[in-house]
Amino acid sequence: MELSFIVVDDSELDCFIARKIIEHADGRLKVTTYPEVHEALTAINNNLSAAPTTIILLDLQMPTMNGFQFVEEFEQLPAEIQKNYFVVILSSSRNSNDLSRILAYNCVQSTLEKPFTREKLLSVIMQVQNGG
Amino acid sequence: MSQKIKVLYIDDEPDNLVGFKASLRMDYHILTAVNIPQAMSALENNPDIKVIFCDQRMPGTTGVDFFEEIRISYPLPVRILLTAYTDVESIINAINKGNIFRYVKKPWTEADIVSAIDEANKFYMANSMLAVKNDELQKAYNELNKFAYSVSHDIRGPLSGILGAINISREMDDIEEMKEMMMLMEKSLKKLDTYILSMHDYYSLQRGELKITDIDFNRLMDEMKSMYNVLSKTSNVAFNVTIKQDEVFRSDETPLKLIFNNLLTNAFKYQDKSKANKSVDVSIEVQKSMATIYVKDTGIGILGTHIGEIFNLFYRANSQEVGSGFGLYNVKSALLKLNGQIEVNSVMHQGTTFKVTIPSI
Repeated sequence: MELSFIVVDDSELDCFIARKIIEHADGRLKVTTYPEVHEALTAINNNLSAAPTTIILLDLQMPTMNGFQFVEEFEQLPAEIQKNYFVVILSSSRNSNDLSRILAYNCVQSTLEKPFTREKLLSVIMQVQNGG
Repeated sequence: MSQKIKVLYIDDEPDNLVGFKASLRMDYHILTAVNIPQAMSALENNPDIKVIFCDQRMPGTTGVDFFEEIRISYPLPVRILLTAYTDVESIINAINKGNIFRYVKKPWTEADIVSAIDEANKFYMANSMLAVKNDELQKAYNELNKFAYSVSHDIRGPLSGILGAINISREMDDIEEMKEMMMLMEKSLKKLDTYILSMHDYYSLQRGELKITDIDFNRLMDEMKSMYNVLSKTSNVAFNVTIKQDEVFRSDETPLKLIFNNLLTNAFKYQDKSKANKSVDVSIEVQKSMATIYVKDTGIGILGTHIGEIFNLFYRANSQEVGSGFGLYNVKSALLKLNGQIEVNSVMHQGTTFKVTIPSI
């Protein structure tokens, strides 16, 4: 199964960490990072070619547009685009209100607490390979 | 005494009203009403009535019923019942239904009334003070909630980043990669530090009295220049200051510095890096006991839809630069303390101008 990753996070350090963990796990995995939600959405929307299965690691609290706004807009995209993506929340938040609210969206598979680690990466990949 | 206590007296006997007014009008502001509609319009037109006296026996109604009726719509005035009939039933009703503060027996003596008004006024003041304190408390609670919410992001966020970095450093051999990560860790820690420093500013603004001194804007800006000239040189942003002050200006220097520091930091921080001619211009003019300050930059500008929110606590309109979401909120709090105003004018990709006006105290 061909896999690639998109990281949406305003923290440069967190983007760097996610990239390194993914690349260290398997050098063939493609990682793209976006500091802003709208940039990520534009890229996803323009990527009409048969994209490989892509896991989106999404932060919740970001300036301008946050994780909730990302998910709202993402679910407006055509179904044939959406089906290539798995959205996983990666946040430092423990606010149960926020976490259950975001999990209520169909496209959101699961939530992970920062910091991102190799173990968390493997659990996400397992989850996606088992069909989400 | 600055202002007489406003008292409303309702009685269907005009003679009683005249007598009441005659003996008390020197010390109190007495309004009278001969029936309920008159009383209602008096309440409507005088929201500052503090004490209401009402006769119990009136044609078609009782004082208790009237008090019960106005309890919800006019909760603030203190209610006192006047009556010649002292049957237990009406006393019980007056207390339970009319929620009265006192009961004065007719015929009254001036001393009875004066003592009733004075006690009622104390009660009224305590209640109003309580309402003010409640509002303040509510505001503090709301901000505390925002804090608790932001802690997981603004404090825990950088910390979990550092932890994550330490984790991956275990399997990192490339020294260049390591250095890059260190730089990002430093950035995260600086962000955390900024947050904590601004939190300190926030608290010191919330409490404490003003310390008013003569403000010499030339001296104040010399201090600012020595701080920001370094930034100006390293980031290649021209820093110009013009000051016109020919009169004494009195204010508190600490909040004033906080305002300048936040506006200047923003002006340097949100520059358009692709521009050739970058500048931050400050102009200060003191005239007729009013300081008018402009802080103008050639920066990236603020999107129209964000402008209304930039003074809110924890609001951030940009993800590219280190910010705590405290800065402009603190500016606004400082201006509230100094009785000042702020306006903002911004054009995307051209720059932003903040106009601050502060009166001399």
